[in-house]
Amino acid sequence: MTAPFLVARNIGKRFGALTALANVDLEIRSGEVLALLGDNGAGKSTFIKILAGAHPPSDGELVIEGNPVSFHSPKDAAASGIATIFQELALSENLSIAENVFLGRELKRSIFGIPFLKRQEMRQRVDGLLKELDAHISDPEAPVGSLSGGQRQAVAICRALNLNARLVIMDEPTAALAVAETRKVLALTRRLAARGCAVVLISHNISEVFEVADRIVVFRRGRKVAERLAAETDHEEVVSLITGAHPDVRALEKTN
Amino acid sequence: MKTLRNLQGPALTLTLLCGLWLIVILGLLVLKPSVYNLGTVTTILQFSTILALVGLGQGLVILAGGSGIDLSVGGTVSLSAIVGMLGVKLGLPPVLLPVVCILAGAMLGALNGWLVNGLALLPFIATLGTFFVYSGTALAITGGAAQAGVPSWLLLWGRGVAMGIPVPFLTLAIPCFALAGLLLLSTAWGRWIYAMGFNERSARLVGIPVDRVRFILYSLSGALAGAAGLVSLAWLGSGRPNIGQNLELESLTAAMLGGIAITGGRGGVGGVFAAVLLLVTLKTGLLQLNINTVWQVGIVGGLLVFVLLADRLSQRWRS
Repeated sequence: MTAPFLVARNIGKRFGALTALANVDLEIRSGEVLALLGDNGAGKSTFIKILAGAHPPSDGELVIEGNPVSFHSPKDAAASGIATIFQELALSENLSIAENVFLGRELKRSIFGIPFLKRQEMRQRVDGLLKELDAHISDPEAPVGSLSGGQRQAVAICRALNLNARLVIMDEPTAALAVAETRKVLALTRRLAARGCAVVLISHNISEVFEVADRIVVFRRGRKVAERLAAETDHEEVVSLITGAHPDVRALEKTN
Repeated sequence: MKTLRNLQGPALTLTLLCGLWLIVILGLLVLKPSVYNLGTVTTILQFSTILALVGLGQGLVILAGGSGIDLSVGGTVSLSAIVGMLGVKLGLPPVLLPVVCILAGAMLGALNGWLVNGLALLPFIATLGTFFVYSGTALAITGGAAQAGVPSWLLLWGRGVAMGIPVPFLTLAIPCFALAGLLLLSTAWGRWIYAMGFNERSARLVGIPVDRVRFILYSLSGALAGAAGLVSLAWLGSGRPNIGQNLELESLTAAMLGGIAITGGRGGVGGVFAAVLLLVTLKTGLLQLNINTVWQVGIVGGLLVFVLLADRLSQRWRS
Protein backbone atom coordinates (compact mmCIF):
# COMPACT_ATOMS: atom_id res chain seq x y z
CA MET A 1 0.00 0.00 0.00
CA THR A 2 1.25 3.46 -0.90
CA ALA A 3 2.02 6.09 1.73
CA PRO A 4 -1.04 8.20 2.56
CA PHE A 5 -1.35 11.69 1.08
CA LEU A 6 -2.59 13.16 4.33
CA VAL A 7 -2.47 11.91 7.90
CA ALA A 8 -4.60 13.49 10.63
CA ARG A 9 -3.25 12.72 14.10
CA ASN A 10 -5.28 13.08 17.26
CA ILE A 11 -7.31 15.98 15.87
CA GLY A 12 -9.57 17.76 18.36
CA LYS A 13 -11.70 20.88 18.15
CA ARG A 14 -13.39 22.75 20.96
CA PHE A 15 -15.73 25.71 20.64
CA GLY A 16 -15.65 27.16 24.13
CA ALA A 17 -16.92 24.45 26.46
CA LEU A 18 -18.28 22.37 23.59
CA THR A 19 -16.09 19.59 22.28
CA ALA A 20 -16.99 19.22 18.61
CA LEU A 21 -14.24 16.77 17.79
CA ALA A 22 -11.83 14.64 19.86
CA ASN A 23 -8.93 12.28 19.14
CA VAL A 24 -9.55 11.75 15.45
CA ASP A 25 -6.87 9.73 13.62
CA LEU A 26 -7.36 9.36 9.91
CA GLU A 27 -5.37 8.56 6.78
CA ILE A 28 -6.36 9.83 3.37
CA ARG A 29 -4.82 8.07 0.38
CA SER A 30 -4.42 9.17 -3.21
CA GLY A 31 -6.66 7.42 -5.72
CA GLU A 32 -9.14 6.48 -3.05
CA VAL A 33 -12.64 7.69 -2.25
CA LEU A 34 -13.10 8.01 1.49
CA ALA A 35 -16.64 8.51 2.75
CA LEU A 36 -17.39 10.22 6.04
CA LEU A 37 -20.68 9.14 7.58
CA GLY A 38 -22.46 10.14 10.73
CA ASP A 39 -25.53 11.79 12.13
CA ASN A 40 -26.01 15.54 12.17
CA GLY A 41 -23.62 17.02 14.70
CA ALA A 42 -21.34 13.97 14.65
CA GLY A 43 -18.35 16.09 13.71
CA LYS A 44 -17.90 15.37 9.99
CA SER A 45 -18.39 18.95 8.93
CA THR A 46 -16.06 20.25 11.62
CA PHE A 47 -13.45 17.75 10.48
CA ILE A 48 -13.57 18.76 6.81
CA LYS A 49 -13.50 22.43 7.80
CA ILE A 50 -10.22 21.71 9.57
CA LEU A 51 -8.91 19.94 6.44
CA ALA A 52 -10.07 22.86 4.29
CA GLY A 53 -8.33 25.41 6.51
CA ALA A 54 -11.57 27.09 7.57
CA HIS A 55 -11.07 26.20 11.26
CA PRO A 56 -7.73 25.67 13.00
CA PRO A 57 -7.75 22.48 15.11
CA SER A 58 -7.53 22.83 18.92
CA ASP A 59 -5.40 19.69 19.23
CA GLY A 60 -3.43 17.35 17.01
CA GLU A 61 -1.68 17.83 13.71
CA LEU A 62 -2.11 17.37 9.97
CA VAL A 63 0.74 15.81 8.02
CA ILE A 64 0.85 16.02 4.23
CA GLU A 65 3.27 13.59 2.59
CA GLY A 66 5.37 13.44 5.73
CA ASN A 67 5.47 17.21 6.37
CA PRO A 68 3.44 18.69 9.23
CA VAL A 69 1.29 21.60 8.03
CA SER A 70 -0.82 24.20 9.78
CA PHE A 71 -3.49 26.07 7.86
CA HIS A 72 -4.49 29.59 8.81
CA SER A 73 -6.94 30.08 5.95
CA PRO A 74 -8.56 28.18 3.07
CA LYS A 75 -5.82 29.70 0.89
CA ASP A 76 -3.13 27.81 2.82
CA ALA A 77 -5.04 24.57 2.34
CA ALA A 78 -5.43 25.30 -1.38
CA ALA A 79 -1.69 25.93 -1.64
CA SER A 80 -1.12 22.44 -0.20
CA GLY A 81 -3.33 20.93 -2.89
CA ILE A 82 -6.58 20.65 -0.95
CA ALA A 83 -9.71 21.86 -2.74
CA THR A 84 -13.10 21.91 -1.09
CA ILE A 85 -16.33 21.84 -3.03
CA PHE A 86 -18.90 23.33 -0.69
CA GLN A 87 -22.58 22.63 -0.96
CA GLU A 88 -23.27 26.06 -2.40
CA LEU A 89 -20.43 25.48 -4.89
CA ALA A 90 -19.15 29.07 -4.95
CA LEU A 91 -19.93 29.63 -8.63
CA SER A 92 -20.88 32.93 -10.24
CA GLU A 93 -24.00 32.33 -12.29
CA ASN A 94 -23.51 35.45 -14.40
CA LEU A 95 -20.14 34.26 -15.74
CA SER A 96 -19.39 31.49 -18.22
CA ILE A 97 -18.13 28.02 -17.33
CA ALA A 98 -14.60 28.84 -18.48
CA GLU A 99 -14.62 32.10 -16.53
CA ASN A 100 -15.78 30.30 -13.40
CA VAL A 101 -13.16 27.58 -13.67
CA PHE A 102 -10.44 30.23 -13.90
CA LEU A 103 -12.03 32.85 -11.63
CA GLY A 104 -9.43 34.42 -9.37
CA ARG A 105 -6.54 32.81 -11.28
CA GLU A 106 -7.19 33.75 -14.90
CA LEU A 107 -4.68 33.11 -17.64
CA LYS A 108 -3.64 36.54 -18.76
CA ARG A 109 -1.20 38.49 -20.81
CA SER A 110 -0.10 41.69 -19.23
CA ILE A 111 -0.11 44.80 -21.44
CA PHE A 112 1.00 47.95 -19.58
CA GLY A 113 0.29 46.09 -16.35
CA ILE A 114 -3.32 45.43 -17.37
CA PRO A 115 -4.24 41.74 -17.15
CA PHE A 116 -5.94 40.98 -20.46
CA LEU A 117 -7.65 37.58 -20.58
CA LYS A 118 -6.38 34.76 -22.76
CA ARG A 119 -9.88 33.59 -23.62
CA GLN A 120 -8.89 31.12 -26.30
CA GLU A 121 -6.44 29.29 -24.07
CA MET A 122 -8.79 29.18 -21.06
CA ARG A 123 -11.55 27.89 -23.29
CA GLN A 124 -9.38 25.07 -24.61
CA ARG A 125 -8.17 24.05 -21.16
CA VAL A 126 -11.72 23.89 -19.84
CA ASP A 127 -12.87 22.04 -22.94
CA GLY A 128 -10.18 19.44 -22.28
CA LEU A 129 -11.09 19.06 -18.61
CA LEU A 130 -14.80 18.72 -19.39
CA LYS A 131 -14.05 16.04 -21.99
CA GLU A 132 -11.77 14.19 -19.60
CA LEU A 133 -14.50 14.18 -16.97
CA ASP A 134 -17.01 13.17 -19.62
CA ALA A 135 -19.28 15.87 -18.23
CA HIS A 136 -21.53 16.24 -21.29
CA ILE A 137 -21.16 20.01 -21.46
CA SER A 138 -20.51 21.11 -25.01
CA ASP A 139 -19.90 24.85 -24.68
CA PRO A 140 -17.48 26.21 -22.07
CA GLU A 141 -18.73 29.70 -22.91
CA ALA A 142 -22.26 28.96 -21.67
CA PRO A 143 -23.26 30.89 -18.54
CA VAL A 144 -23.28 28.78 -15.38
CA GLY A 145 -26.77 30.10 -14.61
CA SER A 146 -28.13 27.95 -17.45
CA LEU A 147 -26.68 24.66 -16.12
CA SER A 148 -28.36 21.90 -14.11
CA GLY A 149 -27.26 21.02 -10.57
CA GLY A 150 -25.16 18.07 -11.74
CA GLN A 151 -23.46 20.12 -14.44
CA ARG A 152 -22.62 22.76 -11.84
CA GLN A 153 -20.98 20.05 -9.73
CA ALA A 154 -18.94 19.15 -12.80
CA VAL A 155 -17.86 22.79 -13.18
CA ALA A 156 -16.88 22.92 -9.50
CA ILE A 157 -14.88 19.69 -9.94
CA CYS A 158 -13.20 21.18 -13.04
CA ARG A 159 -12.24 24.13 -10.89
CA ALA A 160 -10.66 21.84 -8.33
CA LEU A 161 -8.77 19.93 -11.04
CA ASN A 162 -7.58 23.15 -12.62
CA LEU A 163 -6.04 24.09 -9.28
CA ASN A 164 -4.08 20.83 -9.47
CA ALA A 165 -5.83 19.69 -6.32
CA ARG A 166 -4.57 16.40 -4.95
CA LEU A 167 -7.27 16.10 -2.34
CA VAL A 168 -10.83 17.07 -3.25
CA ILE A 169 -13.34 17.35 -0.43
CA MET A 170 -16.99 17.11 -1.47
CA ASP A 171 -19.67 18.12 1.01
CA GLU A 172 -22.90 16.30 0.14
CA PRO A 173 -22.48 16.77 -3.60
CA THR A 174 -25.71 14.96 -4.43
CA ALA A 175 -27.96 16.42 -1.74
CA ALA A 176 -30.02 18.57 -4.09
CA LEU A 177 -29.85 16.46 -7.26
CA ALA A 178 -32.28 14.35 -9.24
CA VAL A 179 -31.56 10.62 -9.68
CA ALA A 180 -29.94 10.82 -13.12
CA GLU A 181 -27.82 13.78 -12.06
CA THR A 182 -26.73 11.91 -8.93
CA ARG A 183 -25.48 9.03 -11.10
CA LYS A 184 -23.36 11.43 -13.12
CA VAL A 185 -21.83 13.07 -10.09
CA LEU A 186 -20.98 9.69 -8.56
CA ALA A 187 -19.33 8.70 -11.82
CA LEU A 188 -17.38 11.97 -11.74
CA THR A 189 -16.24 11.18 -8.23
CA ARG A 190 -14.88 7.80 -9.33
CA ARG A 191 -13.11 9.37 -12.30
CA LEU A 192 -11.52 11.90 -9.99
CA ALA A 193 -10.06 9.07 -7.90
CA ALA A 194 -8.98 7.22 -11.03
CA ARG A 195 -6.94 10.31 -11.98
CA GLY A 196 -4.97 9.81 -8.75
CA CYS A 197 -6.78 12.37 -6.61
CA ALA A 198 -7.69 11.62 -3.05
CA VAL A 199 -11.40 12.23 -2.53
CA VAL A 200 -13.20 12.80 0.77
CA LEU A 201 -16.95 12.59 0.46
CA ILE A 202 -19.60 13.52 2.97
CA SER A 203 -22.98 11.99 2.37
CA HIS A 204 -26.13 11.00 4.20
CA ASN A 205 -27.11 8.48 1.60
CA ILE A 206 -25.62 5.11 2.58
CA SER A 207 -26.39 3.23 -0.64
CA GLU A 208 -24.69 6.02 -2.56
CA VAL A 209 -21.65 5.69 -0.34
CA PHE A 210 -21.43 1.96 -0.99
CA GLU A 211 -21.60 2.64 -4.69
CA VAL A 212 -18.67 5.02 -4.78
CA ALA A 213 -16.46 4.75 -1.67
CA ASP A 214 -13.41 2.56 -1.08
CA ARG A 215 -13.31 3.20 2.63
CA ILE A 216 -15.95 4.31 5.09
CA VAL A 217 -15.32 6.22 8.30
CA VAL A 218 -18.13 6.71 10.80
CA PHE A 219 -18.27 9.65 13.17
CA ARG A 220 -20.41 9.74 16.27
CA ARG A 221 -20.56 12.46 18.91
CA GLY A 222 -17.31 14.07 17.79
CA ARG A 223 -15.33 10.85 17.64
CA LYS A 224 -14.32 8.48 14.92
CA VAL A 225 -16.04 5.26 15.99
CA ALA A 226 -15.28 2.99 13.06
CA GLU A 227 -13.33 2.58 9.87
CA ARG A 228 -14.21 -0.13 7.35
CA LEU A 229 -13.29 -1.06 3.82
CA ALA A 230 -16.47 -0.75 1.80
CA ALA A 231 -15.98 -4.25 0.45
CA GLU A 232 -15.83 -5.75 3.94
CA THR A 233 -18.93 -4.28 5.47
CA ASP A 234 -22.59 -3.90 4.61
CA HIS A 235 -25.46 -1.48 4.83
CA GLU A 236 -26.77 -2.87 8.10
CA GLU A 237 -23.47 -2.73 9.94
CA VAL A 238 -22.89 0.87 8.86
CA VAL A 239 -26.34 1.91 10.04
CA SER A 240 -25.76 0.31 13.44
CA LEU A 241 -22.41 2.12 13.65
CA ILE A 242 -24.05 5.45 12.92
CA THR A 243 -26.90 4.98 15.38
CA GLY A 244 -24.64 3.55 18.07
CA ALA A 245 -26.39 0.16 18.20
CA HIS A 246 -23.24 -1.70 17.08
CA PRO A 247 -21.47 -3.57 19.95
CA ASP A 248 -18.10 -1.96 19.06
CA VAL A 249 -19.56 1.52 19.43
CA ARG A 250 -21.26 0.60 22.71
CA ALA A 251 -18.03 -0.76 24.11
CA LEU A 252 -16.18 2.38 23.01
CA GLU A 253 -18.76 4.69 24.51
CA LYS A 254 -18.74 2.78 27.78
CA THR A 255 -14.99 3.20 28.23
CA ASN A 256 -15.17 6.95 27.69
CA MET B 1 -20.88 39.91 -27.32
CA LYS B 2 -19.69 36.34 -27.29
CA THR B 3 -22.56 34.56 -25.66
CA LEU B 4 -26.29 34.63 -25.70
CA ARG B 5 -26.35 36.42 -22.36
CA ASN B 6 -24.08 39.19 -23.58
CA LEU B 7 -26.09 39.54 -26.76
CA GLN B 8 -29.44 39.67 -25.06
CA GLY B 9 -28.81 42.02 -22.16
CA PRO B 10 -26.97 45.02 -23.64
CA ALA B 11 -28.52 44.66 -27.10
CA LEU B 12 -31.98 44.77 -25.55
CA THR B 13 -31.09 47.77 -23.38
CA LEU B 14 -29.56 49.67 -26.30
CA THR B 15 -32.54 48.98 -28.56
CA LEU B 16 -34.96 50.21 -25.90
CA LEU B 17 -32.88 53.33 -25.25
CA CYS B 18 -32.66 54.16 -28.97
CA GLY B 19 -36.41 53.74 -29.23
CA LEU B 20 -37.01 56.09 -26.29
CA TRP B 21 -34.52 58.55 -27.71
CA LEU B 22 -36.33 58.60 -31.06
CA ILE B 23 -39.61 59.25 -29.24
CA VAL B 24 -38.08 62.19 -27.37
CA ILE B 25 -36.58 63.64 -30.56
CA LEU B 26 -39.76 63.17 -32.60
CA GLY B 27 -41.86 64.66 -29.83
CA LEU B 28 -39.59 67.67 -29.72
CA LEU B 29 -39.64 67.96 -33.51
CA VAL B 30 -43.43 68.19 -33.46
CA LEU B 31 -43.61 70.60 -30.52
CA LYS B 32 -40.73 72.88 -31.40
CA PRO B 33 -39.01 72.34 -34.78
CA SER B 34 -36.74 75.37 -34.33
CA VAL B 35 -34.68 73.36 -31.78
CA TYR B 36 -32.99 71.41 -34.54
CA ASN B 37 -29.57 72.80 -35.27
CA LEU B 38 -25.96 71.95 -34.59
CA GLY B 39 -25.87 74.28 -31.58
CA THR B 40 -28.39 72.13 -29.74
CA VAL B 41 -26.31 69.01 -30.40
CA THR B 42 -23.23 70.76 -29.03
CA THR B 43 -25.10 71.88 -25.92
CA ILE B 44 -26.47 68.40 -25.31
CA LEU B 45 -23.03 66.82 -25.61
CA GLN B 46 -21.51 69.52 -23.39
CA PHE B 47 -23.99 68.74 -20.59
CA SER B 48 -23.55 65.03 -21.32
CA THR B 49 -19.81 65.16 -20.63
CA ILE B 50 -20.36 65.94 -16.95
CA LEU B 51 -23.17 63.44 -16.46
CA ALA B 52 -21.31 60.77 -18.46
CA LEU B 53 -18.22 60.94 -16.23
CA VAL B 54 -20.26 60.86 -13.04
CA GLY B 55 -22.61 58.17 -14.39
CA LEU B 56 -19.64 55.95 -15.31
CA GLY B 57 -18.32 56.01 -11.73
CA GLN B 58 -21.80 55.45 -10.34
CA GLY B 59 -22.36 52.52 -12.72
CA LEU B 60 -19.08 50.83 -11.77
CA VAL B 61 -19.77 51.16 -8.03
CA ILE B 62 -23.24 49.64 -8.45
CA LEU B 63 -21.95 46.90 -10.76
CA ALA B 64 -19.54 45.67 -8.07
CA GLY B 65 -22.47 44.83 -5.78
CA GLY B 66 -22.51 44.71 -2.01
CA SER B 67 -25.44 47.17 -2.21
CA GLY B 68 -22.88 49.62 -3.59
CA ILE B 69 -24.09 53.09 -4.47
CA ASP B 70 -22.42 56.50 -4.50
CA LEU B 71 -24.87 59.22 -3.53
CA SER B 72 -22.06 61.68 -2.84
CA VAL B 73 -21.10 62.24 -6.51
CA GLY B 74 -22.83 65.63 -6.75
CA GLY B 75 -21.08 66.92 -3.65
CA THR B 76 -17.77 65.51 -4.91
CA VAL B 77 -18.13 67.37 -8.24
CA SER B 78 -18.85 70.68 -6.45
CA LEU B 79 -16.19 70.31 -3.77
CA SER B 80 -13.38 69.18 -6.10
CA ALA B 81 -14.10 72.11 -8.46
CA ILE B 82 -14.03 74.52 -5.50
CA VAL B 83 -10.89 72.97 -4.02
CA GLY B 84 -9.16 73.38 -7.39
CA MET B 85 -10.16 77.06 -7.71
CA LEU B 86 -9.29 77.91 -4.11
CA GLY B 87 -5.94 76.19 -4.61
CA VAL B 88 -5.21 78.46 -7.59
CA LYS B 89 -6.28 81.48 -5.54
CA LEU B 90 -3.91 80.48 -2.76
CA GLY B 91 -0.99 80.49 -5.17
CA LEU B 92 -1.01 77.02 -6.67
CA PRO B 93 0.42 76.99 -10.22
CA PRO B 94 -2.66 76.94 -12.52
CA VAL B 95 -1.01 74.18 -14.58
CA LEU B 96 -1.79 71.82 -11.71
CA LEU B 97 -5.53 72.62 -11.71
CA PRO B 98 -6.58 69.41 -13.58
CA VAL B 99 -4.44 67.24 -11.30
CA VAL B 100 -5.77 68.91 -8.15
CA CYS B 101 -9.43 68.54 -9.18
CA ILE B 102 -9.09 64.85 -10.06
CA LEU B 103 -6.94 64.09 -7.01
CA ALA B 104 -9.37 65.89 -4.68
CA GLY B 105 -12.22 63.85 -6.17
CA ALA B 106 -10.26 60.62 -5.78
CA MET B 107 -9.57 61.39 -2.12
CA LEU B 108 -13.21 62.18 -1.42
CA GLY B 109 -14.09 58.90 -3.13
CA ALA B 110 -11.46 57.06 -1.11
CA LEU B 111 -13.10 58.39 2.06
CA ASN B 112 -16.37 56.81 0.88
CA GLY B 113 -14.51 53.57 0.20
CA TRP B 114 -13.04 53.61 3.68
CA LEU B 115 -16.43 54.23 5.32
CA VAL B 116 -17.94 51.35 3.36
CA ASN B 117 -15.06 48.87 3.62
CA GLY B 118 -13.16 49.79 6.74
CA LEU B 119 -16.06 50.83 8.94
CA ALA B 120 -18.58 48.50 7.23
CA LEU B 121 -21.22 51.22 6.93
CA LEU B 122 -24.13 50.69 4.58
CA PRO B 123 -23.09 52.41 1.30
CA PHE B 124 -26.47 54.10 0.96
CA ILE B 125 -26.18 55.76 4.36
CA ALA B 126 -22.43 56.41 4.26
CA THR B 127 -22.52 58.19 0.90
CA LEU B 128 -25.72 60.05 1.81
CA GLY B 129 -23.80 61.40 4.79
CA THR B 130 -20.75 62.37 2.75
CA PHE B 131 -23.04 63.92 0.12
CA PHE B 132 -24.21 66.45 2.71
CA VAL B 133 -20.68 66.87 4.09
CA TYR B 134 -19.12 67.48 0.65
CA SER B 135 -21.80 69.76 -0.81
CA GLY B 136 -22.16 71.58 2.52
CA THR B 137 -18.42 72.17 2.72
CA ALA B 138 -18.34 73.50 -0.86
CA LEU B 139 -21.04 76.04 0.04
CA ALA B 140 -19.54 76.91 3.42
CA ILE B 141 -15.99 77.68 2.31
CA THR B 142 -17.16 79.87 -0.58
CA GLY B 143 -20.15 81.47 1.13
CA GLY B 144 -22.10 80.36 -1.92
CA ALA B 145 -20.16 82.61 -4.30
CA ALA B 146 -18.79 81.44 -7.65
CA GLN B 147 -14.99 81.32 -7.78
CA ALA B 148 -13.59 83.07 -10.86
CA GLY B 149 -10.08 82.87 -12.27
CA VAL B 150 -10.00 79.82 -14.50
CA PRO B 151 -6.87 80.04 -16.70
CA SER B 152 -7.60 80.85 -20.33
CA TRP B 153 -5.85 77.77 -21.73
CA LEU B 154 -8.29 75.62 -19.79
CA LEU B 155 -11.25 77.55 -21.20
CA LEU B 156 -9.85 76.94 -24.66
CA TRP B 157 -10.09 73.20 -24.02
CA GLY B 158 -13.40 73.34 -22.20
CA ARG B 159 -15.20 75.47 -24.78
CA GLY B 160 -13.53 74.06 -27.86
CA VAL B 161 -15.76 72.42 -30.45
CA ALA B 162 -14.62 70.08 -33.22
CA MET B 163 -17.22 69.27 -35.92
CA GLY B 164 -20.00 70.25 -33.56
CA ILE B 165 -18.68 67.98 -30.82
CA PRO B 166 -17.31 69.60 -27.65
CA VAL B 167 -13.62 68.85 -27.12
CA PRO B 168 -14.04 67.60 -23.49
CA PHE B 169 -16.59 65.08 -24.75
CA LEU B 170 -14.14 63.83 -27.38
CA THR B 171 -11.02 63.86 -25.23
CA LEU B 172 -12.38 62.81 -21.84
CA ALA B 173 -15.85 61.23 -21.84
CA ILE B 174 -15.39 58.94 -24.86
CA PRO B 175 -11.91 57.67 -23.89
CA CYS B 176 -13.05 57.00 -20.31
CA PHE B 177 -16.02 54.93 -21.50
CA ALA B 178 -13.94 53.08 -24.10
CA LEU B 179 -11.31 52.23 -21.49
CA ALA B 180 -13.91 51.14 -18.92
CA GLY B 181 -15.67 48.97 -21.49
CA LEU B 182 -12.39 47.34 -22.50
CA LEU B 183 -11.38 46.68 -18.89
CA LEU B 184 -14.77 45.19 -18.01
CA LEU B 185 -14.99 42.90 -21.03
CA SER B 186 -11.49 41.65 -21.62
CA THR B 187 -9.50 41.75 -18.42
CA ALA B 188 -9.39 39.68 -15.25
CA TRP B 189 -10.35 42.80 -13.27
CA GLY B 190 -13.59 43.05 -15.22
CA ARG B 191 -14.45 39.43 -14.48
CA TRP B 192 -13.77 40.03 -10.79
CA ILE B 193 -16.14 43.01 -10.71
CA TYR B 194 -18.92 40.97 -12.31
CA ALA B 195 -18.24 37.97 -10.05
CA MET B 196 -18.25 39.97 -6.80
CA GLY B 197 -21.25 41.97 -7.95
CA PHE B 198 -23.30 38.85 -8.46
CA ASN B 199 -22.15 36.67 -5.58
CA GLU B 200 -19.75 38.27 -3.15
CA ARG B 201 -19.39 35.17 -0.95
CA SER B 202 -18.23 32.96 -3.79
CA ALA B 203 -15.92 35.70 -5.06
CA ARG B 204 -14.26 35.78 -1.65
CA LEU B 205 -14.02 31.97 -1.57
CA VAL B 206 -12.08 31.89 -4.85
CA GLY B 207 -9.70 34.52 -3.52
CA ILE B 208 -10.78 37.71 -5.32
CA PRO B 209 -9.59 40.74 -3.30
CA VAL B 210 -13.17 42.00 -2.94
CA ASP B 211 -12.43 44.77 -0.43
CA ARG B 212 -9.54 46.18 -2.43
CA VAL B 213 -11.53 46.19 -5.68
CA ARG B 214 -14.44 47.93 -3.96
CA PHE B 215 -12.18 50.57 -2.41
CA ILE B 216 -10.58 51.27 -5.79
CA LEU B 217 -13.99 51.62 -7.46
CA TYR B 218 -15.24 54.15 -4.87
CA SER B 219 -12.00 56.10 -5.34
CA LEU B 220 -12.43 55.88 -9.11
CA SER B 221 -16.00 57.16 -8.86
CA GLY B 222 -14.62 60.10 -6.87
CA ALA B 223 -11.84 60.72 -9.41
CA LEU B 224 -14.36 60.72 -12.28
CA ALA B 225 -16.54 63.17 -10.32
CA GLY B 226 -13.41 65.31 -9.86
CA ALA B 227 -12.84 65.17 -13.63
CA ALA B 228 -16.47 66.26 -14.11
CA GLY B 229 -15.78 69.18 -11.76
CA LEU B 230 -12.81 70.10 -13.93
CA VAL B 231 -14.99 70.00 -17.06
CA SER B 232 -17.48 72.34 -15.36
CA LEU B 233 -14.66 74.80 -14.60
CA ALA B 234 -13.28 74.68 -18.11
CA TRP B 235 -16.71 75.13 -19.63
CA LEU B 236 -18.36 77.68 -17.35
CA GLY B 237 -15.20 79.64 -16.50
CA SER B 238 -15.79 79.65 -12.77
CA GLY B 239 -16.11 77.25 -9.88
CA ARG B 240 -19.72 77.12 -8.68
CA PRO B 241 -20.30 75.55 -5.26
CA ASN B 242 -23.63 74.04 -6.37
CA ILE B 243 -22.57 72.76 -9.80
CA GLY B 244 -23.06 69.14 -8.75
CA GLN B 245 -26.67 69.64 -7.74
CA ASN B 246 -28.98 66.71 -8.63
CA LEU B 247 -26.13 64.74 -10.19
CA GLU B 248 -26.65 61.87 -7.71
CA LEU B 249 -30.22 61.47 -8.94
CA GLU B 250 -29.30 61.84 -12.61
CA SER B 251 -26.27 59.53 -12.49
CA LEU B 252 -28.29 56.90 -10.65
CA THR B 253 -31.05 57.17 -13.25
CA ALA B 254 -28.49 56.92 -16.05
CA ALA B 255 -26.92 53.79 -14.54
CA MET B 256 -30.29 52.10 -13.97
CA LEU B 257 -31.67 53.18 -17.34
CA GLY B 258 -28.46 51.91 -18.93
CA GLY B 259 -29.22 48.38 -17.74
CA ILE B 260 -27.03 48.08 -14.67
CA ALA B 261 -28.85 46.00 -12.08
CA ILE B 262 -29.17 47.76 -8.71
CA THR B 263 -28.15 44.46 -7.07
CA GLY B 264 -24.88 44.38 -9.05
CA GLY B 265 -23.22 41.92 -11.42
CA ARG B 266 -25.37 42.71 -14.44
CA GLY B 267 -25.08 45.42 -17.10
CA GLY B 268 -22.40 47.30 -19.00
CA VAL B 269 -21.07 50.81 -19.59
CA GLY B 270 -22.34 51.08 -23.18
CA GLY B 271 -25.90 51.24 -21.88
CA VAL B 272 -24.94 53.93 -19.37
CA PHE B 273 -23.46 56.01 -22.19
CA ALA B 274 -26.65 55.76 -24.24
CA ALA B 275 -28.78 56.50 -21.17
CA VAL B 276 -26.77 59.65 -20.45
CA LEU B 277 -27.42 60.95 -23.97
CA LEU B 278 -31.11 60.13 -23.64
CA LEU B 279 -31.43 61.84 -20.27
CA VAL B 280 -29.64 65.00 -21.37
CA THR B 281 -31.65 65.16 -24.60
CA LEU B 282 -34.83 64.86 -22.57
CA LYS B 283 -33.71 67.57 -20.17
CA THR B 284 -32.65 69.91 -22.96
CA GLY B 285 -35.95 69.32 -24.71
CA LEU B 286 -37.89 70.18 -21.56
CA LEU B 287 -35.78 73.31 -21.20
CA GLN B 288 -36.51 74.34 -24.78
CA LEU B 289 -40.21 73.85 -24.16
CA ASN B 290 -39.88 76.27 -21.24
CA ILE B 291 -40.76 73.70 -18.63
CA ASN B 292 -39.58 74.74 -15.18
CA THR B 293 -36.37 73.08 -13.94
CA VAL B 294 -38.24 72.00 -10.84
CA TRP B 295 -40.35 69.78 -13.05
CA GLN B 296 -37.27 68.40 -14.78
CA VAL B 297 -35.97 66.94 -11.52
CA GLY B 298 -39.37 65.46 -10.85
CA ILE B 299 -39.48 63.89 -14.29
CA VAL B 300 -36.00 62.35 -13.90
CA GLY B 301 -37.03 61.01 -10.48
CA GLY B 302 -40.16 59.52 -11.95
CA LEU B 303 -38.08 57.92 -14.68
CA LEU B 304 -35.81 56.33 -12.04
CA VAL B 305 -38.77 54.77 -10.24
CA PHE B 306 -40.14 53.56 -13.56
CA VAL B 307 -36.85 51.91 -14.54
CA LEU B 308 -36.54 50.13 -11.20
CA LEU B 309 -40.11 48.91 -11.54
CA ALA B 310 -39.50 47.68 -15.10
CA ASP B 311 -36.40 45.82 -13.93
CA ARG B 312 -38.32 44.14 -11.12
CA LEU B 313 -41.20 43.21 -13.39
CA SER B 314 -38.98 41.82 -16.14
CA GLN B 315 -37.18 39.63 -13.61
CA ARG B 316 -40.44 38.28 -12.24
CA TRP B 317 -41.63 37.72 -15.77
CA ARG B 318 -38.50 35.74 -16.68
CA SER B 319 -38.53 33.42 -13.66
